[in-house]
Amino acid sequence: MAPAPPDPALLTMSAITKSFPGVRALDGVELSVRAGEVHCLLGQNGAGKSTLIKVLAGAHQPDDGEITWRGERVTLKSPTAAMRLGIATIYQELDLVEGLSVAENIFLGHELTTAGFVVRGREARRRATALLQRLGHPEIPPGRPVGDLSAAQQQIVSMARALSHDVRLIVMDEPSAALDPDEVDNLFRVVSTLVADGVAVVYISHRLEEIRRIGDRVTVLKDGRTVAVGLPAKRTPTAEVVTLMTGRAVENAFPARPSAPTTPAEPLLVVEGLGRQGEFAPFDLEVRPGEIVGLAGLVGSGRSEILETIYGARKPSTGRVLVGGRPLRPGSVRSAVRAGLGLAPEERKAQGLLMLDTVTGNVSVSTLSRFSRGGWLDRSAERAAAHAATRELSLRPDNPDAAVRTLSGGNQQKAVLARWLLRGCRVLLLDEPTRGVDVGARAELYAVIRRLADDGLAVLLVSSEVPEVLGLADRVLVLREGRIVHRAPAGDLDEHRVLDLVMEGSPTP
Amino acid sequence: MPDTSRRGLLFGTAAIGAGALLTACTSNEPEAKASTPAKQPAAADDKPGKHVTIGFAGPQADHGWLNAINVQAKQRAESYSDVTFVPTEGSNDTAVQIGQIDTLINKKVDVLVVLPGDGKALTQAGLKAMRAGIPVINLDRIFDTPQAYRCWIGGDNYGMGLNAGHYIGEKLKGKPDAKVVELAGIDNLELTRQRTQGFDDALKTYPNIKKVARQAADFTVESGQAKMAQLLQAQKKFDALWNHDDDQGVGALRAIDQAGRDGFLMVGGAGAKSAMDHIKADDGVLKATVLYPPSMAASAIDLARALGQAKGISGISESETPTQIAVFSAVVDKTNIDKYLPTGFN
Amino acid sequence: MTQPASEAQQGGADAVPATDPPPAARADTAKAAPGPGGKNRDGRSPGGRGRLGLRFDARSLSLLAVLAALVLVGGITKPDEFLAVSNLQLVLTQASVIGVVTVGATFVITSGGIDLSVGAIVALASVWATTLATQNYGFAGIAFTAVVVGLGCGLVNGVLIAYGRMVPFIATLAMLASARGLALQLTDGKTQVVSVQSVLDLGSRDSYVLGIPPLVLVFAGVTVVGWLVLNRTTFGRRTVAVGGNPEAARLAGIDVRRQRLYLYLLSGLCCGIAAFLLVILSGSGQNTNGNLYELDSIAAAIIGGTLLSGGRGTIVGSVLGVLVFTTITNIFALNNLQTDVQQIAKGVIIVAAVLVQRRSAGPGEA
Repeated sequence: MAPAPPDPALLTMSAITKSFPGVRALDGVELSVRAGEVHCLLGQNGAGKSTLIKVLAGAHQPDDGEITWRGERVTLKSPTAAMRLGIATIYQELDLVEGLSVAENIFLGHELTTAGFVVRGREARRRATALLQRLGHPEIPPGRPVGDLSAAQQQIVSMARALSHDVRLIVMDEPSAALDPDEVDNLFRVVSTLVADGVAVVYISHRLEEIRRIGDRVTVLKDGRTVAVGLPAKRTPTAEVVTLMTGRAVENAFPARPSAPTTPAEPLLVVEGLGRQGEFAPFDLEVRPGEIVGLAGLVGSGRSEILETIYGARKPSTGRVLVGGRPLRPGSVRSAVRAGLGLAPEERKAQGLLMLDTVTGNVSVSTLSRFSRGGWLDRSAERAAAHAATRELSLRPDNPDAAVRTLSGGNQQKAVLARWLLRGCRVLLLDEPTRGVDVGARAELYAVIRRLADDGLAVLLVSSEVPEVLGLADRVLVLREGRIVHRAPAGDLDEHRVLDLVMEGSPTP
Repeated sequence: MPDTSRRGLLFGTAAIGAGALLTACTSNEPEAKASTPAKQPAAADDKPGKHVTIGFAGPQADHGWLNAINVQAKQRAESYSDVTFVPTEGSNDTAVQIGQIDTLINKKVDVLVVLPGDGKALTQAGLKAMRAGIPVINLDRIFDTPQAYRCWIGGDNYGMGLNAGHYIGEKLKGKPDAKVVELAGIDNLELTRQRTQGFDDALKTYPNIKKVARQAADFTVESGQAKMAQLLQAQKKFDALWNHDDDQGVGALRAIDQAGRDGFLMVGGAGAKSAMDHIKADDGVLKATVLYPPSMAASAIDLARALGQAKGISGISESETPTQIAVFSAVVDKTNIDKYLPTGFN
Repeated sequence: MTQPASEAQQGGADAVPATDPPPAARADTAKAAPGPGGKNRDGRSPGGRGRLGLRFDARSLSLLAVLAALVLVGGITKPDEFLAVSNLQLVLTQASVIGVVTVGATFVITSGGIDLSVGAIVALASVWATTLATQNYGFAGIAFTAVVVGLGCGLVNGVLIAYGRMVPFIATLAMLASARGLALQLTDGKTQVVSVQSVLDLGSRDSYVLGIPPLVLVFAGVTVVGWLVLNRTTFGRRTVAVGGNPEAARLAGIDVRRQRLYLYLLSGLCCGIAAFLLVILSGSGQNTNGNLYELDSIAAAIIGGTLLSGGRGTIVGSVLGVLVFTTITNIFALNNLQTDVQQIAKGVIIVAAVLVQRRSAGPGEA
C-alpha cells in the first residue's frame, strides 16, 4: 500500500442528527477524517462523542445526515456493515470474552474455519501471533485466556481484533484511561505504526497532553454540536481548546490551599504498620482534620489496595488503623463506616453506585437507620436530607429523584460524596475521584474536596494523575511497587520529580 | 453489637427448641400397622419347591399406588419360604433404572420383575435380561416389544374407563339429559388417554348421557383440588363425575366439600383405602371406585416363582405361564366393599 | 485482640447519627414528598422504589391491561360462570398459595438471588405439618410446624449462601432435592389426610369473612406487609441495594451477608405460610405438593417487573403476575380447554405480557 497522498476525506460525516426520547444527542455534527491521520475527538461527557462513534460503528442509526466513505455515500446499518467497510471501534469497556483465549477473541465472529465449521485453532494462533507482533506485543501468548491478561494487554488484543479485519479506520474511545504512563507510551507507538500503514485513527481522550503528542487534527463537540473542525492538534493553545469544550475559560483548576495550618490538630486517621502480604509493605500514615494527603503511584503499585485495607474491605496481615484514637476492627467495613470513614471507590459504577436507583437512594444508603424508627422509613425526611446534601455539593440536576445512571461522571461522583457528607463522615478516602470526569467538571470537584477538608474532614486521595495529586494535596506520599518511597509537602515536588520516583523509586538525595 | 448477638442467641435457642419439638412430629406410626394388606390366596402351587431368586426393579414410590406396588411385591415374596427377594432402590430416572437392571442381571437372579418408570425407554434393558437367559415379568407399564418380556401382567386402563363408564351409565339409566364430568390424570401419559377412551366408548352406549367437561389434574391432591374447584365453577349442575385417581380424589373431594356441592354421583379410580372408607361409610358423593389393583405386583411375584420353578398356573389347563395377563378393573361400591376393603392402599 | 475496644467504640459511634435527625430535613418534609411535580419526576425514576403512594408504574399498568383483557375474554366466553362472585373467590383462593410464595421469592430475586427450593419447602412443610404426631397438637401444632419448617429450610439456605458463600442457584437446588427427599421419606409416598376439624373448617364456605375466604385474607395480608417492607423500610431498601450492586452496598457499610441470610429466611417463612394454606385448601399433606412452584413464582415475579438480575422489585407486579396466571387457568378450565391447549396458550401469553410491558416501559429499558 503506497503512502496515501493527502487525499482528503477517507470518511466524511455531515449534518448528523440523532435524537433519543427527550434528548437531542447529535445536532448536525460534522466529522472529516483523512487516511493516515490521528484525528482527535474532544468534548465533555454528554457532548455527544459516544453517540457519534456509535453511529460510526453502525450501532446507532442517525435520524438525518450523510456518511461518505472513500467518496461514496454509505449507510451503516449494523456493526457488521461498518466492520465490512473497514471501520473498527475499540470501546472503553472492552468487549472481550474473558474465558476465551487471545486468538479466539481476535477471530471471534469471523473464525478461521475448514468446511465452514471446523475451527482451525493452530492457524488462528499463528495469525494472532503475527498481529500481536505487528502491534509490538509479541510477548502476549495467543493461547492464554483473556481474563488472565492485564488491562493494557487486553487493549492490545482488542486492537489486534480490529486489525484482523481489513481495517482502514480505527476508533479508540479513551484508550489511555486505564493505562499507566509507560503503557500509554506503548499505545502511542502502536498508533504511530498503524498511521504509518495508512490507517486512520479517531482518538478520543480527556487528556489534552496526549492529544498534543500524537494528534494531527482535532474536532471539538459541545452539546451535540460541532464547535470546531480540523484544528491543528499540536499548535492550538490549551486555553482555546478548553474554552471550546466548556464554553468558558478555566483558569485556576485547583483551589488555593489554606494559607497555613493554624494549630496542628491531632491526627484523625492514624495508620500503624499496616501491611498486606503480596500487595503492600507495612507503612505508617497520619492525616489531620482539614488536611488532604495524596498517594501517587502507578496502576498496580498498591494504591487502591491500601485504601481498601484502611477501609476494612480487605483484611490486613499486619498493623492497624485508628480513627480519633480508637482502633478499627480489621477487615470490617461496618466498623470503619461507624467510626466515620467513607470511601469513594475507583470503579464508581461497579463499586460505588446503585445504578438502578435514584440520587436519593444512592445518597441515603449508608444512613438509612437515621431515617427509620423500628425499621420504618421516613421517606420524606430521607429525601429532604439527601437533597440538602446534594445541593451542598451543587449536584446537577438538582433533583433527588433523578436516576443516578442519567448523571454525568462528575455528578455521580458528587452523589457518592454526598452519601458520606450525609453520614457525617470524618475521614474521606478518595480513589481516583476524577476518573471519567470532564475537564470542566473536575475543577468543581476539586473545589468541593477542598471545601470538605476545610470543614474539618481528613482526606486521603489516590490518583494516577500526578498533576492532580500535586495540585490538590497538602502532602504527598509516593508509592512504588507496594512501598512508600518518598514523603514530602506537595509544594516541594514537581511533576517530573514525582514521575521519576514513581518509575525509578530512587530515594531523595 | 452485643444487642444483635443477644438476639441471635435467643433466636438460636428458640430454633433448637423448635427443632426438638419438630423431630417429634415426623412420626406416622399409629396407622402404619393398620396398612398391612390382608393375605390373599396364593395363585401358584403353595408347596415349597425349588429355590428362586427374584430381582425387583420398581419406580420411586412417590405416589400411594406405587408405594402399594412395592409393599405388595415385598410381602408376597416374603410369604414364600423358597423365594429370595432382591429389590433395588426405586427410581424414576430411566438411566438409573437401566443400571439397576444391569446389576440384577449381573447378580444372576433367576427371574426379574420390572415395573419401568417409562416402559418404552426400558425395552432394551428387558431385551438384555431376556438374552442373558433371565425371564422378565413386565409389570404394568409395557415394553415396546413382546421379545423383552416372558410375561406381562398389568392393569387394563381402557377397561378401567370402560367399567367406570358402564357403572355410571347404569346408575343414570332413565335419567334424561344426564351430564357427566371427567377429572382425568396426567394428560402426558398414554394410560390417561386410554382411560378416557374407554370411558367415552362406554358412555356412547347411553344416548341420554353427555360428557360436558373434562380437565386433567396430575395425580396429586393439590392439583385434584384446584382442577375440581374449576370444574365445579364451570358446571353448575351435573349428575356424575369420574375421577381417574383416588389420590387426586382426596383433593377433589375437598373442593366439592368447600364448594358445598352434592347431588351427583362420584366414581373414583385405582382403589385407595381413603376412597373405600368413604364408600363404606357412604358419607358423601363418592359412591364407587374402579380398581387398578396393586395386587398385580403380588401376582407378578407368583408368576415369577412359577417361572423359576418351571410350573404352570393352577386353575387353568396351560402347562406354561401365559405371556400376557391383564387384571380386571372391578368396580367397588357399597354392595361389594367388604370384599375389597383389605386391598385398599394408603 | 482489639475486639472489645472496637465493640465499645462502634456502639458509641453508632449512637450519634441515630439520635440526630437533621433539623433542616424535617422542615422540608411536608413540601418535598407529594406535590404535583412528583408524578413527572417519578416517571423518570427507575422504579422498584421511589414510587410515592400506591401509584402503579408502567409495568404494573400494562400487566393490569393484560389482566383486564383476560377478564374480557372470560366474561365474553363464559359470562355466567366467569363473572360470578363465587368465581372471584375461587380465583383468589387458588392464587393464595402460590401468591404467598411469590411475595417471598420477589424479595430474593430483588436482592439478585434466586430460590429454587420454594416448591420443595412447601412440600416438606405441608407433609411435616400433617404427620399423625403433629396432628395430635391440633390447629396450633400444624400451623406452627409448617411455619417453623419453612423458616428452618430458609435458615439453611441463608447460611449456605450468605456465610458458606455458595451460589444461590446451587444451594437452593440442593435444598430442592433434599427437602423433596425428606418429604418423601416422611410420607412413604402416602397422602396424609388431615383430620383436625378446625383446620378443615378454614377452607369451607362458612368461614368466609364478608365473603372473603380466610386464605385470601392471609394472601392479602402477606402482600400488604410485603409491599410495606419492600417499599417503606430500611430492610426493603437494603434488599434493593444488595440486588442493585452488592459491592457498592458492602462498601456503603451494609452487612450484605446478614441481609442475604434474612432474605432466604423470609422466603422460607413465606413457604411455611403457603404450606399451611395448602394444607387448609387440600385437607392433606403430600410429598408432591408445591410441584414447579419455583418456576411459577419466578415467572410471576419476572412478568410482574422484578429484575431477574436484581436491584428492582415490585410486589404489586408479582401479585398481578400470579393473578394473570391463575385467571388464565381459570378461563381455560371454564371453557373446558384441555391441558395441551392450556400449555401452548400459557407460553404465548407469557411472551405477550413481556412484550406489552417492554413496549409500554419505553426505550432505555433492556
